[in-house]
Amino acid sequence: MQTNSLYPFPAVVGQEQAKKALLIALVNPKAGGLLIGGRKGTAKSVLARSTKELIGSKQFIDLPLNVTEDMLFGSIDIEYAVSKGQKRFAPGILARANENILYIDEVNLLRQELLLAVLDANAAGLNQVERDGISFTHPVHLTVLATMNPEEGVLPQHILDRFGMYVDVEGEAEIEHRVMIMRRALAYGSDVASFRKEYAESTQELATIIAAAIKLLPQIQLSDAMLILAAQMVSQALCAGHRAEIYLLEAAKALAALAGRSYVLPKDVEEAAQYVLPHRMRKPPEPQDQEPEENEQESQEQNEDDSENNDDAAQDDSLDNDNMPPPPLDNNEDDGAADDEQDENEQEQKDEQEPQHNNDRLAPEEQIADIDKSFRLPKMLLDLGKDRNIRRGSGKRSTTRTDLKQGRYVRAELPKAKVEDLAFDATIRAAAPFQKMREDNGCALNIKPEDLRQKVREKRIGNTFLFAVDASGSMGARERMRAVKGAIFYMLQEAYQKRDRVGMIAFRRQKAEVLLPITRSVDLAQKCLAELPTGGKTPLADGLAMALQTLSMMNKHDSELAPILVLVTDGRANAVEENGGDPVASALKMAERIGKAKITSVVIDTESDFIKLGLAKRIAAAMGANYYTLQRLSKDSIIRIVRKLDV
Amino acid sequence: MKRTAVYPFTAIVGQEDMKLSLILNVINPALGGVLIKGEKGTAKSTAVRALAELLPAMEVVQGCKFHCDPRDSNHLCDDCSALLQREEALPVESAKMRVVELPVSATEDRVVGTLDIEHAIKHGEKKFEPGILALANRNILYVDEINLLDDHVVDVLLDAAAMGINTVEREGVSYSHPARFVLVGTMNPEEGDIRPQLLDRFGLSVVVTGEHNPEQRVEVIKRRLAYEQDADAFIAQYQEEQEALAARIIQAGRLLPTVTIDDKLLETVAKLAVELGVDGHRADITVIKTALTVAAFNGRTEVKLEDLKQAAKLVLPHRMRRRPFEEGQLDWDKVESFLAAEA
Repeated sequence: MQTNSLYPFPAVVGQEQAKKALLIALVNPKAGGLLIGGRKGTAKSVLARSTKELIGSKQFIDLPLNVTEDMLFGSIDIEYAVSKGQKRFAPGILARANENILYIDEVNLLRQELLLAVLDANAAGLNQVERDGISFTHPVHLTVLATMNPEEGVLPQHILDRFGMYVDVEGEAEIEHRVMIMRRALAYGSDVASFRKEYAESTQELATIIAAAIKLLPQIQLSDAMLILAAQMVSQALCAGHRAEIYLLEAAKALAALAGRSYVLPKDVEEAAQYVLPHRMRKPPEPQDQEPEENEQESQEQNEDDSENNDDAAQDDSLDNDNMPPPPLDNNEDDGAADDEQDENEQEQKDEQEPQHNNDRLAPEEQIADIDKSFRLPKMLLDLGKDRNIRRGSGKRSTTRTDLKQGRYVRAELPKAKVEDLAFDATIRAAAPFQKMREDNGCALNIKPEDLRQKVREKRIGNTFLFAVDASGSMGARERMRAVKGAIFYMLQEAYQKRDRVGMIAFRRQKAEVLLPITRSVDLAQKCLAELPTGGKTPLADGLAMALQTLSMMNKHDSELAPILVLVTDGRANAVEENGGDPVASALKMAERIGKAKITSVVIDTESDFIKLGLAKRIAAAMGANYYTLQRLSKDSIIRIVRKLDV
Repeated sequence: MKRTAVYPFTAIVGQEDMKLSLILNVINPALGGVLIKGEKGTAKSTAVRALAELLPAMEVVQGCKFHCDPRDSNHLCDDCSALLQREEALPVESAKMRVVELPVSATEDRVVGTLDIEHAIKHGEKKFEPGILALANRNILYVDEINLLDDHVVDVLLDAAAMGINTVEREGVSYSHPARFVLVGTMNPEEGDIRPQLLDRFGLSVVVTGEHNPEQRVEVIKRRLAYEQDADAFIAQYQEEQEALAARIIQAGRLLPTVTIDDKLLETVAKLAVELGVDGHRADITVIKTALTVAAFNGRTEVKLEDLKQAAKLVLPHRMRRRPFEEGQLDWDKVESFLAAEA
């Protein structure tokens, strides 16, 4: 559509870093494109889109999230095939964006294999299409601009690495600037045309500067000293591979060109480093002998860094370059690190107050532990194998095929049985080349059964976590419950981001009860957790029985989310609700039944007494569960939950 | 098809914030819609559907699938742009603003639009078949239980809502068209959370609760019974009030472009936003736009502090910087005392 309603680039208040990085990206595609991250309402997309007016004859092409593969990579030209009976390549977005700008908004929500394919094709410089009977290769030289709000998850390190530059944007804190932003937004909203007229001149000037810089770029000289400087900076930042140096030097060249110089100065390289290095900096290996208790802060960091994307860009104190902006946050639970400390402090204060007024209505032996919110668990890594049950649902954790006519249409395939979800476009593509040979049926297309193609749809499904928490008196001892709550809290945070569903069962004082039926509302689970009192004996068998019952009920009438049972206990069963058998023996028996039911489970052993009975470990073995001790969790990097493959 | 009776908007008892937020969005579609949170049976859906009766007529380009605004040359679809190039003026007709429903079960292709199969088979040519987002252009897009919407449908909504343009690159068609809609969503928070990025697209949010006042509750039941007994008579009873409100909405819409705001009030909003620690600048901008609209609805051409306060109450609660599980609730007393100090 048209550009006559664009917000002008120079009218954006502040955001100098993002603006500069955008100019670099526009001047020199070899600088590797730009990813802008930042919270909502910080003019990320506005700024990226406003470059449309700065690129002269180049095109600004949107890659929407709804894109299908045929449209991205290109496919057979249907109209040509029907009319001429010949196959011809119909270019996709990659072809159209060649030598142009490709913009991806909300890039963290795009299917990662598509994103990766785009970035890889760009790195390779060509797109090779082998589909719908078409074989075609064309060059791909894109400038990729992307924006994202890390609130709903961030990109993994190997994808971040493929972006030449990264800038983190924040809102303006100055009152004056905020007022200016409001004024301009109002002016723009009330009369776009005259607002744009006001900035027409400065926009044009900028476009001229960029065009001149592009012209100057091939003549820019790079001295050996600059190469050495770049190599030093990159090795100091411990970046993997050699991509960083290339991006750094190309960005520096663009800066020199923008300044109208024909040679690169050290300050160009230094400035370029602000955009090229932050997201690819790595931290040095940590000394191994840290006691987590003594060094809570560091161990916390380590846990975060080691999680999932092992090699993420961490704050690196040993780096003595003050110009470095803070690295992008790779752990979404932690965005806005600066505020975290404050938030946590406030939270702690609240936590201190909470138990007091809660204690009034408790039985004498009961107590409510607060939540240790500094407790950091490593990321839970679900080793899902292939989920062979066809499931339905929506969520972020795992991708699964779906048999409903819902979910994202990702590609077409030859139908294996009766076609229920016809991929019309693919069917037409299959039929098109044969139309000249087929008899006329009054329509332009005569479709035969062998042309039919079926849609393959994909859905991200969340998981269901059922927490079975031992809330007996023994758990209340020595801050244990506080740590347990901290651990569960952490898992709930993960669940919130991944759109998992959660439920909670507690067992204590002779009985097990469902505190929270399986729900999407992680908030409710959190409230339940905060209010969970401890006290009394440990009816472990009953807790397990209730967990089994809850999960099997769920599986019957709602097969959409694969359930995972998380049992948190010290295993010291000492009560049975019915028929009074041996508590441990009946707990083991129940654990075996859970094992037989093929429920994916994790046992978190909280036993920390001097003499360990190892009961929870036996329970875990009987359940076929992944077993962790609470202590180990604070050191280990990943909870590896292995889903059973023989479901 | 005979039109089914709709419970009159003005007959809804209480729920003033919800009603106001809906009305403000009709007056000023640039506010960014409203999210209505509340338990079952709190007249959420009733209110949104009832709103349809109050919607004003608007000028559209005759025969345009996207009901382009003939006066707004900046947001025309490709066909209308081309037409405007050829002819001097666009043909105009009048159409009522509508409430377009997006059912939770809608598939992505129905939402964004897709390949016109019939046309492809008959003529061997590709043609774009518009989806719900095309219908929603310049109308109200209503999603009941928006928190249960499929993730990938939410993604495309986010895409469209951000820029007011729906870009389609799927199933053999490449197309883009204007999709500027007022997003109205309802949800029951007990059934799950809404994704933060989608939450941010809503200009306003309100929480509705059942009436606690026994007298009010009795009134709710009475009216409901009367409506069920004889819908036509009941609707007739509220005819006058409905017409008055519809007229007031039109009047406010006319007044809106002339409403002004003092620089000092802008500063107040900026300070408040910094004080509360909201994310980004969308909150500031939306508070101001809402305050302008509130003033227009009250028949004034200048924003007063009380308009600002009203606006803050509708705009800020869902924009508090919020980490998972921390309530992220707006401390309304803080806002009040802050505004009182600024006055």
